[in-house]
Order: sequence, then C-alpha cells, then structure tokens
Amino acid sequence: MNIWPLRFRELSNGSTLFADDAGGFFRSGQGFLSRYATDDLTAADVAFLREGNHGFDCEFDLSWTSFAYRWARRQSKPQNLSYAILVPTLRCNLTCGYCQVSRAPENSRGFDWSEETLAGVLAFLSGLDGPDVKIEFQGGEPLLRIDLLEAVRDYCRGRFSNTQFVVCTNLQALDARAWAFLDAEDTFISTSFDGDRTTHERQRTHSADATDAFFQNLEAAVSRYPAGKISALPTVDVAKPPDFHALLDNFERYGIRSVYLRPINYQGFARKLDQGDNVLVRWNRLHSEFIELLIARNYQTGQFMEEYYFVQCLKRVLRLDADNHVDIRNPNFFAADYVVIDHDGKFYPTDEARMLSRIGRVDLSIGDVAAGIDRAKVALLNSGASNHFDPDCIHCVYQPFCGTDVIDDISRYGRIDVARRDTWFCGRQLSIFDKVFEILYRQDKPTRASVAAWLGVNSWSADMAPVHS
Amino acid sequence: MIPLRIKVETNADRPYVVRLRSLEAEAWDSAPTLHPSEAALKHAGPDAADYAGEGGRLRVLGIDPSKVDGDVLLVNPSRGTADRLIRSSSQHNTFLVTERCDQVCLMCSQPPKKHHFDLFPYFETAALLAPEHATIGISGGEPTLFKTELFRFLQRVLEARPDISFHVLTNGQHFDEEDLNALSHIDLGRVVWGIPLYSSDAGVHDEIVGKEGAHAQLLRNLALMCRLGAQIELRTVLMRPNADGLPGLARVIGSTLPFIRTWAVMQMENIGFGRMNWKSLFFDSSEGFELVGRSIDFVRSRGIDAWLYNFPLCTVPPEYRHLAPATISDWKRAYRVECEGCSLKEACGGFFEWHPRDHGYSRLGAVQ
Ligand code: SF4
Ligand code: SF4
Repeated sequence: MNIWPLRFRELSNGSTLFADDAGGFFRSGQGFLSRYATDDLTAADVAFLREGNHGFDCEFDLSWTSFAYRWARRQSKPQNLSYAILVPTLRCNLTCGYCQVSRAPENSRGFDWSEETLAGVLAFLSGLDGPDVKIEFQGGEPLLRIDLLEAVRDYCRGRFSNTQFVVCTNLQALDARAWAFLDAEDTFISTSFDGDRTTHERQRTHSADATDAFFQNLEAAVSRYPAGKISALPTVDVAKPPDFHALLDNFERYGIRSVYLRPINYQGFARKLDQGDNVLVRWNRLHSEFIELLIARNYQTGQFMEEYYFVQCLKRVLRLDADNHVDIRNPNFFAADYVVIDHDGKFYPTDEARMLSRIGRVDLSIGDVAAGIDRAKVALLNSGASNHFDPDCIHCVYQPFCGTDVIDDISRYGRIDVARRDTWFCGRQLSIFDKVFEILYRQDKPTRASVAAWLGVNSWSADMAPVHS
Repeated sequence: MIPLRIKVETNADRPYVVRLRSLEAEAWDSAPTLHPSEAALKHAGPDAADYAGEGGRLRVLGIDPSKVDGDVLLVNPSRGTADRLIRSSSQHNTFLVTERCDQVCLMCSQPPKKHHFDLFPYFETAALLAPEHATIGISGGEPTLFKTELFRFLQRVLEARPDISFHVLTNGQHFDEEDLNALSHIDLGRVVWGIPLYSSDAGVHDEIVGKEGAHAQLLRNLALMCRLGAQIELRTVLMRPNADGLPGLARVIGSTLPFIRTWAVMQMENIGFGRMNWKSLFFDSSEGFELVGRSIDFVRSRGIDAWLYNFPLCTVPPEYRHLAPATISDWKRAYRVECEGCSLKEACGGFFEWHPRDHGYSRLGAVQ
C-alpha cells in the first residue's frame, strides 16, 4: 500500500494527532510516529491505515478515488454571486465604543446612498444570476433609511424567485414602518447584544434610557416573531469580558441558542483601544473557557446551546462540506459569492475591508456600482486566498480544515506575507482546532452530549474519532 | 393489499401499453384529446368498466375505475390480464426488468429465475406516460444483466421527460470502464442507484450474496460510479451474519465511501429466500438497536445521510424515529393487531404484508 503523506502535531495530553491532505485524521503516539518516519510500519499499522483510507494500492482504485473525492470536496468550489451586504447609510443613532470610524452621526449629511447610487445598486443586483438572492442591510443603522430598504426589497422580490433579507439593526428605535418592514416572512433580524446589561450599556448604549429602549424592542421582537427570526451577536472586550453565565442565560431567554462570540474587531476605531498585552493568548483562553462553560451548562440544563464558530470548525473537521464560514473556506476567493456595497456605492470584498479602507490605511475597494467589480484587484487579493502553498500551513496538521484571512493580515500587519504562525488568524485557528480535537477525544459524558448535539446526532462516543494504539 | 395485476378483456391480439382515463371531471363537449396510448372510460358498470381508444376496446374487471384512473397498464390479451406498470396515485411504481441474477443472496425476496422476456419497449412507452415528476423504480433480478438495453432506456426516457427520475436497484457487479461512454449520455443527476453492501469484510459480504469475489468487484465498481458522479444509495440489510460488523462498515463508509448519497440500513423482508432462512438471519433490532444507532450516528457525524428502512417505528428508540421513514411500498404494507390504537401509525410503514405473525421483535406494540 502507498501511504499518503501524514502531518502531525502533539496534543496537550501528549498524544499525537495525524492527518492526511484530505482531512483523514487519527490519534496515535510516538511509537507509530517513529515507525512511520523510519518506514517500519507493522501489519497492524497498515491495516489501520487501510481502514481509515490513508493509502492506496493503485491509481483509480476505490481508495485512491475516494481520497481524491474527499480532497476535492474539502476545497471551496466556485459559487454564484448571490449575496450582497448593503450599507445604505453610515449614519447611526448609537456611538458604540469600537465602531467610531465606521459610522457617522445621525444628523450628518453625505453618508447615505444618493438616487444614482440606489439606481446603480439595483442595476448591479439585476445582473446577478439568481434564482436566489440574500441581502444583508448593514450600517450605520440601516433602518434610518427604511425607504432605501423598501426599494431594494421590492426590487429583489420582483427580480428573484427566492429572496432573503437580513436587517442588522441595533433595535434602538423602531417605528410602525420599521416593524412593518421586519414583519415580512422573508426578512430576518440580526442585532448586537453584548451579553449582559452592564456590558451592553458600557459598550453600546451609554445610558439607562437607551438600554431600556433596546431591551424593550428586543423583548417585543422575540415575542412577536417565531424562533429563528432573530439572531444576536455579542462583541467581547478581552479586557472586560461580560459575565458568560449571564450572557448564556440571556440569550437562551431570548430563544437564541447559537452564540457567535467575537473579539472586538481590530479594524475601525477599535484599533485605538488598548486591550492590553497578549490579547491573542487571553482571547484564546477566554474562548476555551466559554466552550467548557457551554459543555457543563448544556449537560446541566439539557438545553443545548452552541458557540457558532466553534461548531463550524468542529463540523469542518468531520465533514467534507462544512465551509459556510469564510474563515475556514479554502481557497477563500473574494467577491465570489458575496460582495459589500458601501454608502458611496463602492464595492468591497468583505465588511472588514470596507472598515479598513475607511480608516485610510489602505484602499481595499474593488470598484463601484457605476464601473462594476474591479476584477484585476480581486485577482490580486485572491493570490493570497489559499493556504495550500503557504510555507507554514503546508506543514500544519490543521491545513485541510483551515482557511485564510488576507484582509485580517493586511489590517494587522499591513501586508499579506507575514509568517503565518505569527499572525492573529493562525493563533486563533490553532487554538480552536486544538480545542476541537481535545473535545472530540474526551470521554466524559457532558462533553459527549454536547458534541453529539452540536453535530446533530443522537450519540457521540470517543471511539467515533479514530485512535491507533 | 393493492392488486398489481387485474383481469381484463380486449379485442387486441398482442400485448400493448395503455393509460386509462376516466375524464369524469372534464366536459364531454370540449372533446378531450386522447394520447394514442390512452383509452377513455365509456361505461362503468358494477363489475366491469369499458374503455376505448386508438388501441381498441378494453374491459377492466373487478376494480373501480376511480382506482385505476391515470394508471398505465401492460395489457396481455392472451392471458386476459393487465399489469399496472404505473399506478398514478402511488409513489411506489417499479418496473421488474428481469428475474435473472448472478447472485443468490441469503435473504433475496425475489429469488432468481432463468427465463427472461425483454419488456423494455413496453417500459419505455409506459415511462413516457408516467405522471409528472414521477420517480420510477427499476428492479429485478439484476437489471444490469441487460445493461445495454437499460442504459438506452434510461437515456431515452430521461431525455424525453425532463421531469421524471429513476431509482435503479442493482448489485453493482456489471459496470465497467467500457460503460463510461453509455453512462455519460444519461442524466445521472436523475438516477439513484440502490446498491447493496453488507459488510466491510469481503468474506461476510460474499457469503451473503453467494458469490465469491463479489465484494472486490463491487468496490471496483463503486470507484467507477464515484468518478461518474453517480448518486448511490448504499443498502445494507441488517441480519445476524452482518449485524456485529455494522460499526466497522460505518467506519469504512466514512473513510472510503463518503461519496454515497445515502446509507440505508434495512430490516429484512420475510419472503422468498428471506422466509426460508428467516430463523438464522432475522436480527431483532428492537433488542440490539445500540449498534445500529451508533453506526448511523457515526455516518451522520461525517455529514453523510443515513436512514433506517423497513423498521416498525415502535422497535426504534424515540430519538431515532425521525430517521425511519415509512419505506414499505403501499401495496406490500400491512399492520398487525398490536398496531391497534397506535399513535405512530400515520408515520409508520408497518410490516411487509407477508411478515409472519410471530414477528420476531421482542419489543413491539402500539405507542400511545
Ligand atoms: S493558518 Fe495556522 S492553523 Fe491554519 S493551516 Fe496555517 S498554520 Fe495551520
Ligand atoms: S405498533 Fe404498529 S403502527 Fe405502531 S409503531 Fe409499531 S408497527 Fe408501527
């Protein structure tokens, strides 16, 4: 049998994790490692590798073919552009601490789409292939320009057979027209909720009245709409994290079981915030603690909640098709399936790229609605969009599961060729995948119950993750 | 049980395919246009119904015309019978292509016979008359023993009817590189190949199908199907000889057969060889469900679809019941005295009509 190359990494418990290029993985020890390295495999080694499909006898045999299949399925495939993030206004009625630069005061002028920009946006949408389209309204506070939202939605409903709209709103001020807009079945709400009242007020609303308004509207929306209509994201300040217990209780109370924990975004005004030293290490520790808290809490309550990104990574390890999240997409081509259109009609490959460009450090716009998408610039960004040839990633056991984030690299280091292992992105990915494999191999009941629930199966036992002794 | 063969009288002298139409709802004066292969109801009496069309007159006996409206029949004048090739009200229409087979599976429900009549021309006419968006089953014996005819049939029908699709039951023994060309002309997105694999252990599989080398041949052909992008429903009938190996098979599906579209773990059918060998083969999954559940969970955790076919719902733990659709075809389905008052009956496929009274499940009975 010819064995496909295996990469390896020592896990925290001293065992060694192995994985092939197609994401076939198993845990073993130093003994196997040295037999593998010295080409001295036993019959038992070979039988184990055969069952796990880590080798083949000849080209086009079943093992070879399914290895090729697994590898290919893990690559992100070209997709239709069917998703647009629209910023009809940059104005906002809040001043969140970490968002200063990507917003404009509520009463300022010149931060909304003009008539021509709206026409350009609709013309751009008309050129999409369909039949599905998803539109996310961002801001600023998009509901300040509900007329523009209505115009876009009306147009899309006429143009596409399947439409979905997400309004990213701070839920501060909702008048009858806003509620009527949100009432539609094809329209969803995404809001920010920083976990507990104190944190939310400190980071976002800054006054008891404004906080009350937010909670009143959130409660009203939760009671008015079916489960799944509202999602909420907490933004976490590593220096002052919210009370995670309270955060989970609150989210559960509002019927939101999936929590996407995000560190304060480095772009925008947040760059200037001092979060102290070693933010990465502290973030990783915080995130790991959050996972442990979830596991314990899930087991205790029997009501399963999840951390969104962690579960995406967990599925990415086990499944071939789990690359919904862009950070684990490989290659992660820009302006392929979605694009951002700013308040001035400029295209950006991601929302982070938009914010990064606003602070004037680098111009990551990729054309505008008048001139169309600048494919040459997209191609330049795409040159860094895969981890296949990265000198660090090619040695990393997590490469088949991992992705890239060029924009984050530019934002933090001003360049895309920093040694991968020195980047924030890699540090976070390594830590998350370490955690994923730790829990996949854990035997305790609470962990197994959460893993099963997160994977959507009835039972998970540690022997479902392969071990070679 | 729903009759698949009915009594007829006809003035035709050779077999033909016809679709029956009652046309009750339509106004006669608007003169509905009949397809050349259709016959319209002219008169319905208590015991017989008379139809007429381009193919001649047809009298259907002993069944209410409303039950056969839209059905496509293969009329056999000399025998005075007609096979209901397509029952318009059913999701379970299957063409039996041949009764020949090169395997002799221990639990075969339709033991092979030597003789063979080529009915493909009739099947083609019938398929073209199928209701919109129908899925038609192709079964045997082993249909791919006549693969030239089969591939041509699939290609032609799929081209002519962009709305319909096929489910082909095959032992997967007879594909080879030379078929790549013929298969490339078939819209494989609309064909699901139901292929049995009983074990990851070649010895166990070969023993069950009664053919040495079958396992190795099957694996070679599965690789071929993968390269073609064919949609495969892998079928594993659960029996005593292979039950213990189910978790091992699940692991191999995850590592080596991730390209399948579905894995179906199936309960046995008590007919044909299945009846003869029942005692030594039947696996009471109501007792030993744990290894079934674990295997299904393993495969699903890898993002591969897995289902339980032909499992009475009460024999399945509640948390797995949503994975056990009612798969027993309507015309073979029956319930038992134990089922009286069961709250799951609507969703439950029950039993094969010929399932023995002593059903073999130690845990079974109405769920309140
Ligand atoms: S970014 Fe880091 S974790 Fe991801 S593949 Fe590269 S080296 Fe591994
Ligand atoms: S009692 Fe009968 S109807 Fe009810 S689940 Fe069992 S087999 Fe199905």
